[in-house]
Amino acid sequence: MYFGGKGEDGAPNRRAMWLWYDWRAAAIADANGSILDDEQWDGFHDQRSIVSRLECIAEGGLTPEAMVLLERFPDAKPRVHGEPDLPDADWPLPDDEAQQAADEAAIAMATRGVAQAAGDPDRRLEHLMRASDEMRSTFITMEARLVEWVGLFLPEARFGQDRSSLGKTVGEAESLEHLSKTLGVSLPPVGPDKPEWKALKEWGQSVAVFRGQLDRLENGIRHLSLQHLPSLSALLGPLLAARLSVEAHGRMRLARLPAGTVQVLGAEKAFFNHLKTGAPPPKHGHIFMHPWISRSPRWVRGKISRTVAAKASIAAKIDAFEGEPWGEEEMRELEQKVEEIRQAHPSPPPRRN
Amino acid sequence: MAKHNNRRRSTMLSWAVMKAGRALWTMNAVPKKAVYGESLRSFSGTEFRRWDPSRSKLGAAIMRTRRDPSWLLPVEGTTVLYLGAGHGTSISHLHDHLCGQANDLGGRLVAVDLAPRCLRELTHMAKSRPGLVPVLGDARKHAAWGVLLPRKVDWLFQDVAQAGQVDIFIGACKRFLNRDGTGLLSLKAASERWTGEGEEALFEKVEHQLNTSGFEVEERISLAGFEDNHVLFAVRKME
Repeated sequence: MYFGGKGEDGAPNRRAMWLWYDWRAAAIADANGSILDDEQWDGFHDQRSIVSRLECIAEGGLTPEAMVLLERFPDAKPRVHGEPDLPDADWPLPDDEAQQAADEAAIAMATRGVAQAAGDPDRRLEHLMRASDEMRSTFITMEARLVEWVGLFLPEARFGQDRSSLGKTVGEAESLEHLSKTLGVSLPPVGPDKPEWKALKEWGQSVAVFRGQLDRLENGIRHLSLQHLPSLSALLGPLLAARLSVEAHGRMRLARLPAGTVQVLGAEKAFFNHLKTGAPPPKHGHIFMHPWISRSPRWVRGKISRTVAAKASIAAKIDAFEGEPWGEEEMRELEQKVEEIRQAHPSPPPRRN
Repeated sequence: MAKHNNRRRSTMLSWAVMKAGRALWTMNAVPKKAVYGESLRSFSGTEFRRWDPSRSKLGAAIMRTRRDPSWLLPVEGTTVLYLGAGHGTSISHLHDHLCGQANDLGGRLVAVDLAPRCLRELTHMAKSRPGLVPVLGDARKHAAWGVLLPRKVDWLFQDVAQAGQVDIFIGACKRFLNRDGTGLLSLKAASERWTGEGEEALFEKVEHQLNTSGFEVEERISLAGFEDNHVLFAVRKME
């Protein structure tokens, strides 16, 4: 090994050496770019080895060849191919055959990366959430139509608050007469003809089916959300936790948002209107769905949603960085705080004029 | 004289790219297969795919440039780098030009994108189009895929529509583009921080930044009409 003598001013005059490497070769060159040594690997017919080498380089690691050379030349500075400070030299670049093999490995890596995206809970949650939103809006429209439709033929029927079993009841009825008996109302003289009744009955069946599907979708969200966002779920409930995460485009992004943004997530329209026209800013976005906020009097909602959002933001950070998840205890603490805010402001503030 | 000339005038921009009236066509490298639902048509026995300029910023730039449009295309059979591959609309036409059927010309098209959703289309396309190398990765993290480009390239395209796109472009060109090579930067005004001075000022600023970073801006092509609030900078690397 060359160490050089001491320079005239006493400073060590060690000549710079560079260790260049790519996925299949490594070489040592001095500062002038003359190659002193190299190591090459020709096992590139095995795609899996190429993939693991490419992955190793992507993570900033050294390939086996580079390690061999680094042992031989411990003073050389290791640089992966293409780094700007490497001198120009006749590096042992891959030939066409090797490059072809690397290209195929790159395609395999891309394919695998795409397949791994299916394991990403953020994406799974997003599909579940959007599907459940679409299902809910379909279900509500269809149920409203069913109520109107049955009401046309059985004007005495009152469905009140609980419509949950209406679809099932209509779907299982043999005829309008049967249905009127089940609902305990009298049968008016005019009724649907046969095909019309069949259509109505099937509409009822669909409503019942959609209701079941909606429940299963929400169960799916709850299940995934409890695993993926344990702390946030404990604090706000799994459905709201999932909604915030989806709205923020993923758990990691939610964790990086400031609490103020978490507070108004879902109120983008009002928020940008505020920025644009100076209208009052929104006090809450999706977080409004939480009963602590929606069931509180109007004048404390802003204060409570601020507190809740601040805690939710911390919980999201715990989830994203996989810390010790929050549970019942923290939830109770927050509930106490919310209660204190409510106690402190029992009546609406006086109107400002 | 123009009596019989009722066909639209068509010119070849390269061996595979044809401009016919207001449409672009490329010679299909995978005959009988459309990539994204575009129309296929035979011109004197050879099948072409219609290149929709409103779905491809490269296509739009070719339509809009005031210079010889073939200048915007890479030399066929070379290796090029494409950052921000998207769903592969431009990529497929570029591949027609660069590689030809079964990669007769020996071109390599390294296409980088961050989104698995986009790569899904690209990896599928790569099966029938040899020479296309899709990479799932960040355009800024050169270390992860830089080894796939053993030599610098003469043509680099970037369309990433994210903040800091100019710096990403300059960094990529410094590392991967040959001296005298062509760099194309599709700039989306809305992705940059709004300075309150308007789009024109933003584009001026970017042009100045490119001109002072070792590039010469050869043309600033407005894509208005195809892709609003976008311009494409065509630059040459000077150092």
